[in-house]
Amino acid sequence: MEHYKNFEVDDFVWDEYFRQWVLHPTRESHAAWNEWLAKNPSRAEVLHRARQIVQSLQIKESSLSEEEIKSMVDTTLQRIGSPKPEERRWNISHYIGHARWVRVAASVLLLLAVGWMVNHKKTNQAVTSSTGTTVGAGSHNAQQMVERTNHGVSPLLVLLPDGSRITLMKGSRISYPEHFDQSVREVSMVGEAFFDIQKAPERPFIVYAGELVTKVLGTSFLIRAYPANREVTVEVKTGLVSVSAYGKASQALNDRHEANGMILSPNQKVIFEKNEVRLVKTLVAEPEIIVPDAAALHFEFEDVPVSEAFDAIAKAYGIEIRYDKHLLSDCPLTAKLDTQTLREKLSIICLAVEATYEIVDGQIVVQSKGCKN
Amino acid sequence: MKQNSLSADPLDVLTNWKLFLAGDMPAFGKLMSQHFQILFHYGNKFSRDPEFVKDCIQDVFLNLWERRAYLASDVAVKPYLMASLRRHMHRTSKNFNLETAAYEQDAEFDILFSVEQEFIENEATMMMAQRVKHFVDLLPARQKEVVYLRFFQDLDRSQIAHIMDVSPQTVSNLLQIALKQLRKSWHLVSALLGFFFWA
Repeated sequence: MEHYKNFEVDDFVWDEYFRQWVLHPTRESHAAWNEWLAKNPSRAEVLHRARQIVQSLQIKESSLSEEEIKSMVDTTLQRIGSPKPEERRWNISHYIGHARWVRVAASVLLLLAVGWMVNHKKTNQAVTSSTGTTVGAGSHNAQQMVERTNHGVSPLLVLLPDGSRITLMKGSRISYPEHFDQSVREVSMVGEAFFDIQKAPERPFIVYAGELVTKVLGTSFLIRAYPANREVTVEVKTGLVSVSAYGKASQALNDRHEANGMILSPNQKVIFEKNEVRLVKTLVAEPEIIVPDAAALHFEFEDVPVSEAFDAIAKAYGIEIRYDKHLLSDCPLTAKLDTQTLREKLSIICLAVEATYEIVDGQIVVQSKGCKN
Repeated sequence: MKQNSLSADPLDVLTNWKLFLAGDMPAFGKLMSQHFQILFHYGNKFSRDPEFVKDCIQDVFLNLWERRAYLASDVAVKPYLMASLRRHMHRTSKNFNLETAAYEQDAEFDILFSVEQEFIENEATMMMAQRVKHFVDLLPARQKEVVYLRFFQDLDRSQIAHIMDVSPQTVSNLLQIALKQLRKSWHLVSALLGFFFWA
């Protein structure tokens, strides 16, 4: 600190090390400057003045009040929370037509979606027009958010205000409003969670996780959306779930004329590949029987057409199995398949009738040359 | 100090930034709350219309949310946001020259220095403080901006370079020229005052 000996007041004022000591003193800088002062007592007056000037020289800023900031933040969140209607539209045209119930369910969903959009738009306008006029208006409209993180190792059960039950896996986080909106229940999640959603058809439940937005009316499903993973997945246990990409991902899919959304039924799973920006529908690893009295079901087939077995399985697991009825009509099957998983059942049957199967678009597709000899 | 209460723990800011990149809305809200005031203060230096500044900040954040999939996870958040706002405001304002696609050199940096009396003990020191303020007021816009970012926002050379979209060497040069100018004026006045007293 030798060179400070010749410093005048203004040299000190614009010296970084000196300013650091004045504005953000530490034990070290205190010691150093006190020592310097002890060695250079004649400079005490200069140093003292420079100190006062550094402290006094400030910048006049017109600041925003905390309420103003909060209301700006809230309106911005509202704007991203309700993407433009184009992004919200569920792209279901590809998935309509296989079964009557899918068609019905899809139209119900669509109607609800439209209703929800209209409602949501109203809310948005209310917020925009009220911000800034009165203090507190912003906080009235904007929901108080609750944030829960599972810091433990075992799954954490989170009860939402509507009675829905969320099982939050280790290290995962969910945030939801203290009070749900009248028209929609919206939450966002990072990590992995199982959702058991209270039925409320008039109030869709929406989960934002990763690049996917998942919309349901009352079902249970699992979402995996770890920031570090290359995939975001949604697996459906019960009910119907509508999943679509949002934001940039949705745009990218649209640009390639690919579906940016799909409807999932139980045992189906959607995988969103982040790197390739691709939505793929498949089946969960271990599909489960979805009909109520699973124990009463028996998969014992004795010399029946294989089509009967396929139909029974399809019904029990709530999935579609597609096969060539004509080709397989003469394939008899004898098998007892009560303890096997879905995949094992299918493998055994296919082995027996010399067929193969694959999972395409969340359905089972059976390939066979037939059994007519 | 005001600035201090606004700046949060850098590690917390970065963790929050990563959550935001993952699409976490509360994290995005927090990111905005943490930086809105600083950005507002900075933006006011380029425009006298607070509504315009607020709109620009909102645009910057909306844009950020849209592009979050393409953003780096290890940025210095505050300088990054300041740089985005500066660019956005210059692009949106009249000072941006469409033909050369560059900012006008004489774009203003509207900063209001003040001497807070409560820190000053006597009149002689007050005079000196006023002198310091007077000279820093006289600096050209870009030098003023460097002084502001370096001394009042505690940003380092490379961060300032990023914000102002110039090379780190340019930052050093601007800072040196500014400090030299401040010193020169100071000594000139001191000499004049000395002459006055002795005469």
